[in-house]
Amino acid sequence: MKESNTQNSNGSSKYWLSLEQWRNDPEFKKMAENEFLSSPLGEDKEGGWARREFLTLMGASMALTTAGCLRRPAQKIVPYAKRPSEIIPGLPNYFASSFSDGVEGFGIVVATREGRPIKIEGNTDHPMNQGGLSARAHSHVLSLYDPDRLTGPRENLLNSEKTNKDTVSISFDNLDKAVVAQLKNSKVALLTAGTTSPSTKALIEDFQKAFSAKHYAWNSASVGTLLDASEKSFGRKGAVPKLALEKAKYVVSVDSDILGTWLSTTQQQADYAKGRNPGEEMSKLVAFESLLSLTGANADQRFRIKPSQQLDVVMGLIHNIVVKNGKSGYASSGTAKELLAPFSAVAASLGLDEMKFHQVAQELWANRGKSVVVAGGLTSQTAQAEKLQSAVNWLNDVLGNDGVTVDYSSGMLSQDSLSDLQKLIADLESGEIKTLIIHGFNPLYSLPESLGLRKSLKDPENTKKEDKKMVIYTGDRNDETGTVANFIAPDDHALEKWGDAEFADGVYSIQQPTVRSLYDTRSFEDSLLKWMKDAGRGGPAVSSADSWYDYLKNNWKNSIQARNRIGIGAQGFEAFWLELLQAGVFDTSNGKNSSARSFRLSALEGATSAAKTDGYELALYETVGLRDGSLANVSWLQEFPDPVTKICWDNYLCVSPADAEKEHIKEGTVVELMVGDQKVSVPAHIQPGQAEGVLGLAVGYGRKGAGKVADGVGVAAWNLASVNNGVLVASGLPATIKVSQKRIPLANVQGHHSMEGRQIVVEQTVAQFMENPQANMHKHKIFSMYPGHKYPGHKWGMVIDQTKCTGCSACLVACQSENNIPVVGKKYVLQGREMHWIRTDRYFVGDPENPDTVYQPLVCQHCDNAPCEAVCPVAATVHSEEGTNDMIYNRCVGTRYCSNNCPYKVRRFNWFNYTKKVRKPENYAMNPEVTVRARGVMEKCTFCNHRIKAAKNQARVKDVVLKDGDVKTACQESCPTKAILFGDLNDAESAVAKEFHNNHNNTYSLLEEWGTYPAVKYKTKVRNTDELKGSHGGHHGGGGHGKSGNDGHGKGGH
Amino acid sequence: MIKREPLVLGNKTYKDVTDDICSLVETLPGGKYFLALLTAKTLLLFYLVVLGFIVGTGMGLMGVNHPVGWGTDIITFVFWIGIGHAGTLISAVLFLFRQKWRMSIARTAEAMTVFAVMTAGLFPILHTGRPWLAYWLLPYPNQRGPLWVNFRSPLLWDVFAVSTYATVSIVFWYVGMIPDLATIRDRAKNPWRKRIYGALSLGWRGTAQNWNHYEMVYMLLAGLSTPLVLSVHSIVSFDFAVATLPGWHTTIFPPYFVAGAIFSGFAMVVTLMVIVRECVPVFKDYITMNHMESMNKIIMATGMLVGYAYASEFFVAWYSGSPYEQFVFVNRAFGPHGWSYWIMVTCNTIIPQIFWFKRARRHIPTMFVVSIFVNIGMWFERYVITVTSLHRDFLPVNWDYFSMTFFDFGALFGSFGMFFVLFLLYIRLLPAISIAEVKPIIHVGKEEVHHG
Repeated sequence: MKESNTQNSNGSSKYWLSLEQWRNDPEFKKMAENEFLSSPLGEDKEGGWARREFLTLMGASMALTTAGCLRRPAQKIVPYAKRPSEIIPGLPNYFASSFSDGVEGFGIVVATREGRPIKIEGNTDHPMNQGGLSARAHSHVLSLYDPDRLTGPRENLLNSEKTNKDTVSISFDNLDKAVVAQLKNSKVALLTAGTTSPSTKALIEDFQKAFSAKHYAWNSASVGTLLDASEKSFGRKGAVPKLALEKAKYVVSVDSDILGTWLSTTQQQADYAKGRNPGEEMSKLVAFESLLSLTGANADQRFRIKPSQQLDVVMGLIHNIVVKNGKSGYASSGTAKELLAPFSAVAASLGLDEMKFHQVAQELWANRGKSVVVAGGLTSQTAQAEKLQSAVNWLNDVLGNDGVTVDYSSGMLSQDSLSDLQKLIADLESGEIKTLIIHGFNPLYSLPESLGLRKSLKDPENTKKEDKKMVIYTGDRNDETGTVANFIAPDDHALEKWGDAEFADGVYSIQQPTVRSLYDTRSFEDSLLKWMKDAGRGGPAVSSADSWYDYLKNNWKNSIQARNRIGIGAQGFEAFWLELLQAGVFDTSNGKNSSARSFRLSALEGATSAAKTDGYELALYETVGLRDGSLANVSWLQEFPDPVTKICWDNYLCVSPADAEKEHIKEGTVVELMVGDQKVSVPAHIQPGQAEGVLGLAVGYGRKGAGKVADGVGVAAWNLASVNNGVLVASGLPATIKVSQKRIPLANVQGHHSMEGRQIVVEQTVAQFMENPQANMHKHKIFSMYPGHKYPGHKWGMVIDQTKCTGCSACLVACQSENNIPVVGKKYVLQGREMHWIRTDRYFVGDPENPDTVYQPLVCQHCDNAPCEAVCPVAATVHSEEGTNDMIYNRCVGTRYCSNNCPYKVRRFNWFNYTKKVRKPENYAMNPEVTVRARGVMEKCTFCNHRIKAAKNQARVKDVVLKDGDVKTACQESCPTKAILFGDLNDAESAVAKEFHNNHNNTYSLLEEWGTYPAVKYKTKVRNTDELKGSHGGHHGGGGHGKSGNDGHGKGGH
Repeated sequence: MIKREPLVLGNKTYKDVTDDICSLVETLPGGKYFLALLTAKTLLLFYLVVLGFIVGTGMGLMGVNHPVGWGTDIITFVFWIGIGHAGTLISAVLFLFRQKWRMSIARTAEAMTVFAVMTAGLFPILHTGRPWLAYWLLPYPNQRGPLWVNFRSPLLWDVFAVSTYATVSIVFWYVGMIPDLATIRDRAKNPWRKRIYGALSLGWRGTAQNWNHYEMVYMLLAGLSTPLVLSVHSIVSFDFAVATLPGWHTTIFPPYFVAGAIFSGFAMVVTLMVIVRECVPVFKDYITMNHMESMNKIIMATGMLVGYAYASEFFVAWYSGSPYEQFVFVNRAFGPHGWSYWIMVTCNTIIPQIFWFKRARRHIPTMFVVSIFVNIGMWFERYVITVTSLHRDFLPVNWDYFSMTFFDFGALFGSFGMFFVLFLLYIRLLPAISIAEVKPIIHVGKEEVHHG
């Protein structure tokens, strides 16, 4: 329609500003739309300048001048905890939110500064992670600012082999047109990660109805086998049970890394730690493991097995309890006996210590109803995985754990199934399904090629253009799956979008955007909505929602609230919604009880004992840092020293010391690994504690197209997995190796792995601890001619509990995020130049074949008598009157004398200008409270000095006294097991002071005899065993110590 | 009566002495000299490029790492500072003891001191992370806060010790040269030469009053320099001894370092003197075999002193009862860096034993090779002290290896370029033997004056 020159559409006469406007020049129209000639806020560009609009504009300008360059999400979101009436520049705002990382869910609080998220902290009110976070969770903030993210939708000019990497830019409008046309014309399938979001599920259901689409889900850490086994064992799939580790007195893990990678690890760590108070009631962790996992490293007792022997272990334990000792209701069952018959001499056939194996069975029985047996995770994903899970179910049933410590009523709702996935691939292959929408995971990377997904997406030759298959991918980068996708419609980052989740049955969480989308991205849910609307389909829920936010809110109002009969009170839904946004979590799981399910022995029919194998068995595993590889492009995680091996920037073939000797493998020797027809060349790492005949290789590496950081790091391992009978077999894979002469150095942050008989981590058995908390501890009398420092006000100190510490190293990334700690890369880690301010030292104790592992988080010890302070020629490191050892970067000239003189070597030197190498926009993740360090200066842990300052300022503003708990260091806050205590040692009532100043408990100072008087003390590592593997009670002192005993001369302050 | 061998050979007259020594300054050197200078200059240029890279990019280019915070820079610093000691010992201590044989080698030894200290002085600045701020180590009223220095830090003592040493050495060396510079001035025919040496000789007239003042100042400066021989390296050793690190924290360090310094210094003097004798044959009359032998004796004696120190360190480590200390010393000899320890022991304590034989002491090729070995050994001594103590200390997780990079070698070898450029320029621009001091010790007017 041609617009009139003289009249507006509503008939009013039109005024013109220029001849261009008079002529209706298209250029001018464009300009008028873009410039602030009309309202910058309103959508109607027709109207002129109204008085009200003018006032609105002026108001907005005023707001803008006060708010600076804030990016405010369009929808209303409410800060949690500290609720500022307005945003005060210089103070962080905290938003409660949540997100899921694979099957694990987190309640989080996002700290934002001037509108940009800078740090993720745990939501202490959230029942899942209980305030703790994993290293990966912290890394999500850096993944938001990943420079390799797509900045807008892309179209791939596919080749017939579906391997093309090159994409061109496309607008969402054009993408939507193409997608909607395809959706209308063909059958659609959705392939997503196993989501727990009730609203996303509802939306997907709507989408399925709208296009009669099918939905398939897959998790890289698949729970499908476990659910299938539940169906066989109990008749229904149900949920993935929650392990009530806090109630369990006895935990047996069969190749399942419950503390590191399997299921809800942060929650499991927190719960596990609750039972780890040294004393009568201390729980015991027994691990049967092929590889050394974080769980095995924490185990009180550890047996080494091959992956093929997992089923034997569980069945052997049942046999021992039921048949040999005649316990439980199954003792009289003939079927049970028959099933167990092949497992009568498991300990002998597996080469385990029969006495010890028998003891485990006996102790399990003694702790019936208070124990947990668990299997699961990649390493237990053998061809027998389903039987193994059924056997675990049976053992838990025998012990009466089912429904008590194995709580399926508040289990995790994530689901996936490989057989469904195979159906999808078959349908794609046959052309039954022509459109595939992939969301939330990267199937072309994290599924083995042999599954045939890529092949199934190829079009037969001479396919007509309109009959061709279309793949729409919502990944945030043009990665492996990007090569097969016609369109990439990048999803928002979890910190940019709305969402909700039901991580465990009845535990609802809300996900708030904390920043407006940085790029031209659109949430997956908005995309689905848009496509339904554009196609004119979808139910009333779709048509009544303008955006995903509306849909979500409506879903909460009409569905979740209604279903759970949530009392919204007199205030109405809006008030409830606000409260929900503030709290971030709505827990309806309380009071739910689960009772024992009846186990069907038929689930184990045909279970056979493992045949003896001579060759190597390969077990794939996930690392604590990279897991399935989805966050591989986050440099913090690449430089995250693996808690077990302490290696970063690579994956490697883990080989047992005995096999290494046999095959002449040295650390870093390149080995060609062959599994079936798949081959990879990978450097070897000799891993103490690994079972002989087992090889381990981590998945998550060898990415292509993930970005500058991840590409080319390590080798891809998923392709080595195979598919068997609806199970993804990732462990127990028969493998052969060919040892080469080449060596690739592995970036290990630790130079040595034994304590060399020094008093570094003091270990005690529970019995020793109960008899004398200072057992095995050598205390020293220390003399000084000089009076110490005076601490009239605060005196900050820390106590780290080595019994509680699992070594997960979440603190390391928390610190990195909080303190702007740079990443240096493999080349420089090899030179020992990593920058972490807190590190988790890991020592092996005992025989390298199956050693005990101890962890010691090491921060700057803030010595009262600090060796570093005395030697700095320019006084760049000085003692504060609050007991901290302060580093003044500006003053430092970089002599590194302080580092040489530090007995703990906790100081880090800026060898290069690391800050300069930060790629935009990663600099947005920097914490403005902490200086970035220049090249040539020393840096180290500050005890989160800026947090102390902030808390003191708060107290001063409020005119109150600083309380214990007002200051929390980043590491302390992040610790899932609460192993770190921090506070004022001068406050006799503070938790840390009670531990620190107690001369009769199990705290000690590291290198106490060196007379440094650290402000950090360690609590001994107490193991629930009868004997320790390391030799103890040795004399480890320097000169000038008194006789051993409880002199208690280790305390700081004089 | 056995006659003492004359200190200067060749029955020189006073004029011969003046001519011999001045000839170097007054004639154009030959091609060999220029070749040597060109080589040294190339090395110096290379050194500058290496330093440029390190200052421009960061200390990270060198091999220093997390446990081993000090590496090649500090090792080479101590090495060069140590070299300097022999010069001061010869020129000052032997002067006070009226050792006449020192006269002909004192000037060059002192020049070596000055150049060694100059070479050394760059390293502590270079090894800092921010060398452009190294002046912050100087305590002077400033507008940075004011930011004061930490007088408890041995590195600061180092600043004072080295700067004092450099100042006193340069003044002492220069004052000693004044009469000779005046001689060159007086002989000069070229007006520019006259003017330059005229300015350098500070108006020396050779009057009795001049001589009186000169000798007084020279003796005072000798007196001032003498304690420096002991103090400088003692203080350098404090950099290590005051730290709490096992392997560094030892009371034996000051005397051990001083002995080592004299040891290495004399080795360097022998190296240089052999070269000078070869390049300037006329100097063989002044720097005689007796000189060389005396120095070789000192090398052997001090070599045994450091050998004793090595042994006593092991004893003390055992006797201390400290497992850390004991570990460090076992690790030093048998750990991953053990090779460096055995290089040190071989070069410093075993090889010099050859000087028990008079023939070896007076055999130029032998002493040249031995002196080079001693220099290598003494560099490795500092390597052993610095690296093996740091690379494995208290907490085994921190243990790491130290390997030198291209830039480490560049800085090490490049520093020789700087030293030799300075030395070669000195040889041809300044009187390399003290004319004024040599003349009183020649046997002029005695029975053997007339010959030929």
